[in-house]
Amino acid sequence: MEKKIALSMRGITKRFGSVVANHNVDLDVYEGEILSILGGNGCGKTTLMNMISGIYFPDEGKIFKNGEEVVIRSPKDAFDLRIGMIHQHFKLVDLFTAAENIVLGINEKGQHNMKSVNSRVAQIAEKYGFHIDPQKKIYDMSVSEKQTVEIIKVLYRGADILILDEPTAVLTPQEIERLFEVLRRMKADGKSIIIITHKLHEVLSVSDRVAILRKGEHIATVDTCDATESSLTEMMVGKKVTLDIDRSEPVNVQLRLEVKELNCIDSEGIQVLKDITFTANSGEILGIAGIAGSGQKELLEAIAGLQPIASGQIIFNNPKKDKPVTFFHKSMYRVKELAAQDAFHDKEGKPMRLKGMSNAQIRAQVAAENVLFREDEVMNLRGKTPLEIRSLGVRLSFVPEDRLGMGLVGSMGITDNMMLRSYRKGHGGFVDRKKPKALAEDIIKELEVSTPGVNTPVRRLSGGNVQKVLVGREIAFAPKVLMAAYPVRGLDINSSYTIYNLLNKQKQNGVAVIFVGEDLDVLLALCDRIMVINSGKITGMVDARSATKEEIGLLMTQTEAPTKEVAQ
Amino acid sequence: MKKFVALLLALTLCLSAFVFTASAEVADVKLGVILLHDENSTYDLNFINGVNDAVKALGLSEEQVIMKRNIPESQECTDAALDLADEGCTIIFANSFGHETYLIDAAKQCPDVQFCHATGTKAHTEGLSNYHNAFAAIYEGRYLAGVAAGLKLNELKDAGLLKGEKPLMGYVGAFTYAEVISGYTSFYLGAKSVCPDVEMKVQFTGSWYDYAEEKNAATALIAANCDLISQHADSMGAPSACEDANIPNVSYNGSTVESCPNTFIVASRIDWAPYFQYIVNQVAAGEAIDTDWTGTIETGSVVLTAVNEKAAAAGTVAKLDEVKAALQAGTVKVFDTATEGFITVEGAALNSYIADVDDLGDYVPETEVVADGYFHESEYRSAPYFDVKIDGIELLNQMF
Amino acid sequence: MSEQKKTAAHEPLFHLAKRSSVNPVAAMGIRLAAIVLGLLVCGLVAFALIEKLQNNPGKIGDFYYSFIKGSFTSERKLWKFLKNMAVLQCISLAVTPAFRMRFWNIGAEGQTLMGVLGAITMAFYFGGKVPEWQLLIMMFIAALIYGAVWAVIPALFKAKWNTNETLFTLMMNYVATYVVSYFLVIWVPSGSSTLGKLKFGKLPPLPFGNQYLLIILISLALTIFLFIYLKYSKQGYEISVVGESIRTAQYSGINVKKVIIRTMVVSGLLCGLAGFIIGAGLDQSVTTESVGGQGFTAIIVSWLANFNPLFMIVTSALISLLNSGAAQISQDFNVSGALPDVIVGIILFFIIGCEFFINYKFVFRHKETGKGAAK
Repeated sequence: MEKKIALSMRGITKRFGSVVANHNVDLDVYEGEILSILGGNGCGKTTLMNMISGIYFPDEGKIFKNGEEVVIRSPKDAFDLRIGMIHQHFKLVDLFTAAENIVLGINEKGQHNMKSVNSRVAQIAEKYGFHIDPQKKIYDMSVSEKQTVEIIKVLYRGADILILDEPTAVLTPQEIERLFEVLRRMKADGKSIIIITHKLHEVLSVSDRVAILRKGEHIATVDTCDATESSLTEMMVGKKVTLDIDRSEPVNVQLRLEVKELNCIDSEGIQVLKDITFTANSGEILGIAGIAGSGQKELLEAIAGLQPIASGQIIFNNPKKDKPVTFFHKSMYRVKELAAQDAFHDKEGKPMRLKGMSNAQIRAQVAAENVLFREDEVMNLRGKTPLEIRSLGVRLSFVPEDRLGMGLVGSMGITDNMMLRSYRKGHGGFVDRKKPKALAEDIIKELEVSTPGVNTPVRRLSGGNVQKVLVGREIAFAPKVLMAAYPVRGLDINSSYTIYNLLNKQKQNGVAVIFVGEDLDVLLALCDRIMVINSGKITGMVDARSATKEEIGLLMTQTEAPTKEVAQ
Repeated sequence: MKKFVALLLALTLCLSAFVFTASAEVADVKLGVILLHDENSTYDLNFINGVNDAVKALGLSEEQVIMKRNIPESQECTDAALDLADEGCTIIFANSFGHETYLIDAAKQCPDVQFCHATGTKAHTEGLSNYHNAFAAIYEGRYLAGVAAGLKLNELKDAGLLKGEKPLMGYVGAFTYAEVISGYTSFYLGAKSVCPDVEMKVQFTGSWYDYAEEKNAATALIAANCDLISQHADSMGAPSACEDANIPNVSYNGSTVESCPNTFIVASRIDWAPYFQYIVNQVAAGEAIDTDWTGTIETGSVVLTAVNEKAAAAGTVAKLDEVKAALQAGTVKVFDTATEGFITVEGAALNSYIADVDDLGDYVPETEVVADGYFHESEYRSAPYFDVKIDGIELLNQMF
Repeated sequence: MSEQKKTAAHEPLFHLAKRSSVNPVAAMGIRLAAIVLGLLVCGLVAFALIEKLQNNPGKIGDFYYSFIKGSFTSERKLWKFLKNMAVLQCISLAVTPAFRMRFWNIGAEGQTLMGVLGAITMAFYFGGKVPEWQLLIMMFIAALIYGAVWAVIPALFKAKWNTNETLFTLMMNYVATYVVSYFLVIWVPSGSSTLGKLKFGKLPPLPFGNQYLLIILISLALTIFLFIYLKYSKQGYEISVVGESIRTAQYSGINVKKVIIRTMVVSGLLCGLAGFIIGAGLDQSVTTESVGGQGFTAIIVSWLANFNPLFMIVTSALISLLNSGAAQISQDFNVSGALPDVIVGIILFFIIGCEFFINYKFVFRHKETGKGAAK
C-alpha cells in the first residue's frame, strides 16, 4: 500500500549567527509511521523540529502539509495544522491538575466544561493505553506522568503529527517500554510520530524509519529494518567507530572514600539522601545508576562540600605516605623501640633498624630526614567547604552535571576557566595566567578541543568541547577521587568515547572514579561496580560484569533495598 | 489667525524696539539669569515672567537676555555665572537662596560684571561693590491677603458657619525660616486687624515644593477645624485640598482661581519685573545698584491678584484698597508693636528685638529692629528677618 | 497560482535572524548611524516643540551646533565638560564592580550623597579648628566610610537574608536624602536648610593647569586602577565568577557572601570618593541635590560601556556631551528645562536600541519568494 506523505520539508536552512543549525534539509514524514531523527549533539535535530512546531521560522525553504505549502509562524499556526510537539522540558503549571493543564490555552467561548474535558481525556487515555488521573495535580506527578500529560495535551488539540524531543531521557527502562507501546498504538491509529533521540537501541526498537542528521545536514533516511547500530553510528559521525569500551581489570584496589550513613535535607526540608553508605576504591570505576533526580546530584555535591549534611560521615583515605620521623612526636626511647619492630624504613624503602647507632648518630639521621615511616591519612570531609577540602590536600575532582552553570564560567575563555579551582595560587593580589594558559593549550591539543582560541568564551563551544575542557581541567588536577555526573550527556558518540577513555585511563592510574550515568548499556560496559539509588536511598549494589539491564532497571524503581547481600 | 497675531506682535515689538533703542545704553546691557528650576516650578515661573515683562517694557532684544534653567545650588552655579560672563553678560542674576555663596564666588572673579541675587542675605556684609541682594516687602502683600481672610472669617462668623467658637486659620509653611515666619505672621496680623479674635495653626512640610506633603498638611489642618487655609509653599497641593473640602483659600505666588473657582479668595505675589527694569536701567546709566533693594507696593513689586468675588466676603475689594493706601501712606504698619494687644509674645508686648541681620554664618543676632512703635522688617537688609513667634499662632510641628 | 498567492499573504513580511558574526567596525558603524538617526529625530521633535525653530527653520543648524557649543567653544566650557565627565566617570566606576557581580546596586546616588555628607560633616565641625591638610584627610576618610557603610548595609542584608538588593539600594537613596535634610535642619538654625559654601575644606587645585585638573587626573587614575583590579586581580576574577553563576563560585570554593560584601564595600568606597570630590573638590557644601541624579546616570554609562572601565571614558564623555549640549539648547532657544531631557532620552533610546540591530538582522519576504521561484 502506498503511504501518504503527511509532512514534508524542502530546502530548510536555519542559521544562528555564524552557526548553521540546518542546511538545506529535505525530509518527509508519512502517515502512520514512527520516524526517528537521529544525530549527535548540536546536529540540528531540535532546531529542525522547532521549525515545524512554530518556535523558529526557517531562513530558507518550504514546509508542506498534506501536499499544500504552509507557513508556520507560531506554535498556534502549528496547532492549527494539527502539529504538536512535546518538549524535553515540560511546560506545565505545577499547581493545576492534569485536565486543567490539558485545556490551558485552548480558546473556547465561555468556561471549560471540566466534566466533558475529563471524559475526553479519559477517552484519549483509553484509546492509546495511557494511565492518567485527570484530577491529579502536576506537583504530585512523577516525570513519566508529566510526560503523559504533555502527550495528551497535544492529542487533545487534535494533533496528527506528534514530535517528541528526547522523550526517554528521563524515563526508566520499564517506562520507556510503556511509552513505546503507546507510540505504536498511535501509529496504528494513523498518526505520524517523530522522535528525536540519540540512543541507537531505542531507534532500532521503536521506529519504522530513521533520518540521520549530521552537522545540520540531512545525511540519509533509512528503513529501520535495514539498519544496524554500527551502520547508523557510521552515518551519524561520518566515519567508522568502534563501540567497545575497553574495560580493564581493577588494579591495586584500595579503600579511598568511605561514605557512612549520609543524610541530607535540602533547603525545602525534603530529605534528599537517606542513610547512604558505600565505599569507592582506587583503580576502580563505581557507577551510580538511578532515575534522574534520585539524589545523584546531591550525593556528589555532599562529597564535594557543596551540600549541607544533616548527619553521617565522609571519610577520605589518603594513600600511605612516607613521613620523616621527628623527635617532636616521639622520644628517643620510642624511636628505638619502633625501629626494632621494623616500623621505619629508609628512602629506598628498606627497613631501618637503627641498630648499633649511637644516640648522636640516630639524631643526625632523623635530622637529615632519612628515617621514614608510613602513615595513612584519614580525613573526615563532613562539613568542610570545597576550599577547606582542598587545603587539607584532598585531591578531589568533580565534573558536575551542570557544566556551564557550575563547572565552568560560560563567559570566560578556556584559560580563565582553567584557573577556576587554582586562581588563589601564588602570592600577591594578582592572578597568574601563564600556567593556566599553558594548561589550556595542552588540553586543546591533547583532547582535540575545537575552539577559535584560548580566550573564546566556552559558552560558544559545542557541548562536547565544553565537556572536554571541564574533564580536562579536573583530570589535570591529578585527582585521587574523580566524580563525574552525566559526563556524556548530550555528547555525540565520538566525544562520548573520548570521555570514556579518559575515565578508564584515570582508573588505570589508580584514581577512584565515581561515574553517574543514565545510559545503562554504558554503565554496564564501563563500570566495575554499579550502585543503584532511588529517592535518595541505595537500592542495590551490583557487579557490572555480571548484572543485567533489567536487574538494574528493577532496582531503579524499587523503594527498599533487597535483603540479599549485594556483590562487593 | 494665530500666525496673524504673531506677526502683529512681532511688528509691534519691532516698532517698540525701534522706539526704545533711542536709549543706546540699554542696548549695551546683557542680562544673564540663573534659575534653580524651570517653568514647571511656580517659583521660577514668577521670575521668568518678571524677566519677560521687563524685557518687553525696556524693549530689549532677544539676544540681550540669556536664561540658564535647572542650575543647582552648587559649584554648577559658579560655573554657570562665569559662563554667562564669558558670553558677555553685564548683569547676572540668580534666583535661589542657595545660589548665593556660589554667586559671590563668581562675583569675586568678575569685578566688571554686576551680580544680583534674589532672597539673599550677604550683600551688605560681603563688601563687594558688584554684588547685590534684592527682595520685596511681601509681608505687606501678605498683610493685605490677611485682611481679605479676616473679612471672610467675619462673614462666616456672622452666618454662624464657623467650625469652632473662635475663627481659626490654617497655614501650610515650608521651613521655620524667617521668610516663612515673616510671611505667616503678617498674614495673621492682617486677619487680626479686622477679626480680632482670630487664631492660627501652622503646619510645616520641610520642603519648598512638595505637592503631596502640602496637600496632606492642608487636609490635616482642615480636619483640625480650620475655617480658612493659606500657604507659603509653591505647589497646588494646599489649594486643591481646599477646593476638595470647600474651605476658603488665600493663595501665594499667583492666582489659582482657574482650578479652585469656589474657594480661591485672593493671592499676593512678588512681581520681579520692576527689579529687572531697575537693574538694567542702573547699569545702562552707569549708576550703582542698591546693595539691598526692597521692592514695595509703591515700586509695583508687591501685588495682589484680582479678588475672586465668588469666594471673597462682600466689600473685600474696597477694604483692600483702603488698607493698601494706608500702608503706602505709612499710617498702618504691619508689625505694629505700639497698638496694645496686637503683637504679644507670651502675653508681653514686643518692645525690643535683636535680629540676625548680618548673616556671617554664625547665626548670632546683633541688630535692634524694634523702634518707633513697629518692627522694621526688610529695612536693614532686603531679605526678611522677622522670626518672632507671637501669640495666637500655634506651630504644630517645628522639626523643620 | 492561487496557492502561491495565499502563501504570500500568509508569510510574514520579515523575520529576525541573528547576525552570523558581529564585525566590530560594522558595529561601530551601526552605533554611529543610531546616534545620527537619533539626532535627526531630535531635530524633528525640536521642530515640533520649539516655536523659534518653526518661525525660522534656518536655525536648525544652530540647534545641532549647540551640542558642540555646549562643551567646546570656550576653554571654560571645555574644562567644565571634562570636570562633569570626570565626576560621572567616578560614580560609573563605583557602580561597576557590583554590576559585574550581577548585584544590581542602584544605590550609587545615595552612597555618593552620603560620601558628600561625610566630607562636609568633617568640614562643618572641624573647619578652621584643625589645619586644612588635616581637615582634608579627615574629610577624605569620612567620605569613604560613609559611602562604604551605605553600600555594605544592603550587601549584609543580601548575604544574611537574601533580600532584594535592587529595592533595598533604591530605598537607601531616599534614606540618604532624608539624612542630609536632617543634618541641614540641625546645622542651619535660621531654618533655611541651606548650608551655603563652607570656608574650609577645599581641595586645593594643582599648582598648574585648570582648577579642575586634579579631579580629572584622580578620575583617570581611578579608571586605570579599576581596570587593572577587575581584569588582573584575584578579587576581580572572583567578582566575574560570582557574576556569572553563584553555583560555579561555590564549586570553585569562593565564599560568595564574602565576595558580595567585599565588592559592595569597594563600590561604596568609590562612591564615597566621588562624594569627596563633589564635597571637597567642587561644592564645599551639601544639599539633597548634591549628586543630582548622577548616581542613576552612572548606571547607564557603566552599562553602555559593557562594564569596561576603559570604554566608560567614551560613554561618560558621550553622556556629558549630550547633557551640556541639551542644556545649551534650552539656553539658546529659551525653552523649558524639560526639552533637554527629551533630547537626551531620544538619543539614549537610539543608542540602546541599536544594540539589537548589532545582534540581529531582518530577513525580508522577497528573498524567500525569490528562492522559492528558483526552485
